[in-house]
Amino acid sequence: MFDEKDLILEAKHVTRRFPASGGRQLLACNDINLKMYKGKTLGLVGESGCGKSTFMRFLVGLDTPSEGEIWFRGMDITKLKGRAAWENHQHVQMVFQDPSTSFNPKMKIRDIVCEPLLNFGRLKRSEKDKKARELLEMVELPGDFADRFPHNMSGGQRQRVAIARALALEPEIIVMDEATSALDVSVQDTIIKLITRLQREKNISIGFICHNLGLIQSFGHQIAVMYLGNIVEVMPGEGMAEKCCHPYSKALLDAVFDVKMDFSKKIEPIKGEAPSPLDVPVGCPFQDRCPHCMAICRETRPTLRELEPGHEVACHLFEKGGNP
Amino acid sequence: MALLEINHVDISYGKRVTVKDSNITLEKGEICAIVGESGSGKTTVIRAVLGLLAGGGKVTAGDIVYEGRSLLKLNDKEWRALRGHDISMIFQDSGAMMNQTRLIGNTYVEYIRTHENISKKEAWAKGAEMLGRMRLPDPDRIMRSYPFQLSGGQRQRVGIAMGMTYQPRLLLADEPTSALDVTTQAQIVRQMMELRDEYGTSIIIVTHDLGVATYMADKIVVMKNGEIEEQGDRAYMLHESRNEYTQKLLDAVPSLGGKRYV
Repeated sequence: MFDEKDLILEAKHVTRRFPASGGRQLLACNDINLKMYKGKTLGLVGESGCGKSTFMRFLVGLDTPSEGEIWFRGMDITKLKGRAAWENHQHVQMVFQDPSTSFNPKMKIRDIVCEPLLNFGRLKRSEKDKKARELLEMVELPGDFADRFPHNMSGGQRQRVAIARALALEPEIIVMDEATSALDVSVQDTIIKLITRLQREKNISIGFICHNLGLIQSFGHQIAVMYLGNIVEVMPGEGMAEKCCHPYSKALLDAVFDVKMDFSKKIEPIKGEAPSPLDVPVGCPFQDRCPHCMAICRETRPTLRELEPGHEVACHLFEKGGNP
Repeated sequence: MALLEINHVDISYGKRVTVKDSNITLEKGEICAIVGESGSGKTTVIRAVLGLLAGGGKVTAGDIVYEGRSLLKLNDKEWRALRGHDISMIFQDSGAMMNQTRLIGNTYVEYIRTHENISKKEAWAKGAEMLGRMRLPDPDRIMRSYPFQLSGGQRQRVGIAMGMTYQPRLLLADEPTSALDVTTQAQIVRQMMELRDEYGTSIIIVTHDLGVATYMADKIVVMKNGEIEEQGDRAYMLHESRNEYTQKLLDAVPSLGGKRYV
C-alpha cells in the first residue's frame, strides 16, 4: 500500500535495554521493525511506559539502541558520531509534549524559532527578523509574536511555536512526542489541522506518539500499536476501526470516548495495569490482561505476521491466518 | 429540594470578575459536567463550592446553597465538618495533593482521624478497606507506599478512595482523567459512574473533553470566558443545541471512523 521507493527510514531489529538496580535489565524496546515513508504519518500508540518515546528518541539521536540498525539517507544513524551526527540533526527534528518546558524562558520567540538556523549557519543575523515573521506566519501566528516571551502565550500558541522551530530547518522527518496531550481538546483539533496542512505543503514525514487511537486515526497513514516494548500490530490508518484485530488494539479502541457512541453501552476497560518492563513475562506480553489468553500464549511469544498488505499482527489468535 | 444550587454567582480575584452570573442546579444522584477550554472559569466554580478559591478569590454576588443552607456563611469549624465528609473533591493529580515524604497510609490515617475519633490502627484498617473497595490490588502495599511509587492511575484511584471514605453526597472532580492514558481514563470513568449507582453520590465533573462529559453526565454546562454559554441535558446538547461554541467543542472530539484530515 506504500510505495517502496518512498521509503525514507527503516528500523531493523531495534532493541533497547537499560541497566537497572540489582543487575536486572529493563527492556524498553524489543526487536522493533518499522518503516517510515515520504510525506506520511506513522502513529505510534500505546500506554505510558510502553517504550514508544524511547524508540522515537533514537530517530532524533537523543539515545542509541543497544542492538539494531536505523537506516536513513543511506546511513545507519545509530552509528553516527560527532560531526556526522550533528549534521544529521538537520533532517530529523522534534516537537515535545509540553511546550512550556521545551523553551528557554528567557529567550524571545524570535530567537527560539531562528536558533536552529543560526546554529547550522543557514541564516544571517540581519535576516533574523524577517525569517522569524515568516516562520510564525507559517504556523498561523501573528508575526508580532516574535517579540514575546514563551510565558506570554497560551499552550496552543506555544505548541505552534514549537512546530515552527522544528520546521525551520526544513527537515525530512518530524517526531512529535504526544504533541497535543497537554492541550485542550478544541486546541488539539486546530493543531492537528495545522500539522496535516504543513505535511501536505512540505511533504514531510511525521512520527507521532500518542495514546489515543481515536485521535491518531484522524490523520495517521500507518499506525503501530506498541505494548511493553513490543509492536503488537501495524495497520493502515484508513478504516482502522474496522480492521484492527489484536485484543490490545481493540481494548484501546474501546477506551475512546466519542460523542457519537452509544451511551447505554457499559464501558469495559482492560483490567489492571501493564506489567513492569523489568519483569517481562515469558510468552505473549499481553497474556495477563487478554480476554482470549490460551495455553500457547503463556509459552511462546507471537511474532508479527502479515494478514494483508500493510497490516501485520502479533497474536496467536491469527497464527493460521484466519479469524478467531 | 435540589442538593446544590449555585444562584447568580459572581467570583472575583481582586478587582477582576472572573466568573459572571452563573447558575447551576444539581439534583440528588445527578452527574453534571462543566465543560470549557482552559481559563473559562470552570475550576473556579467548583472550587467556590468547597470554599477553596485560590489567591484571595471571593464570591462577590449571588449565593451557593447546599441542602438548604448557604455555604458562604459557614465558619471554619462548620467547613471542616463538611469538607471531606459531605462534599469531597478529586484533583487532576491526586499524588500532588499528598505529602511526597509521607506514606499514603499515614496521610490517609490523618484524614480519617480529623473526621472520626478512632485509633490509628482502626483508621489504617478503614483506609485499606476503602482502597480495596476501589479495586486497588494489594491495599496494604499501597498504604505502605509513597505517592511517587504509584502509577498515575493508581494515585487517582487512591484520591477517589479518600474522597469516598465517608460516602459524600456530593463529589467534585477537577479534570480527574486529563493526565491519564485513555485506558486508565476509561477505568476511572467507569469507577466514578459506579459511585453514583452504589452510593447515590451526586457528581460535578470538570473536563475539557466533551467525549468523557457526554458519556458520564446527565447534564452538561458549557462555559466560555467566565460565563455559562449554554446548559442542558445530554440529549439536548448533543442533538438539538444550535449554539456555535457547543458545536465547535463537539466537533473537536476525535471520533472513530469519523473525519480524516489526510
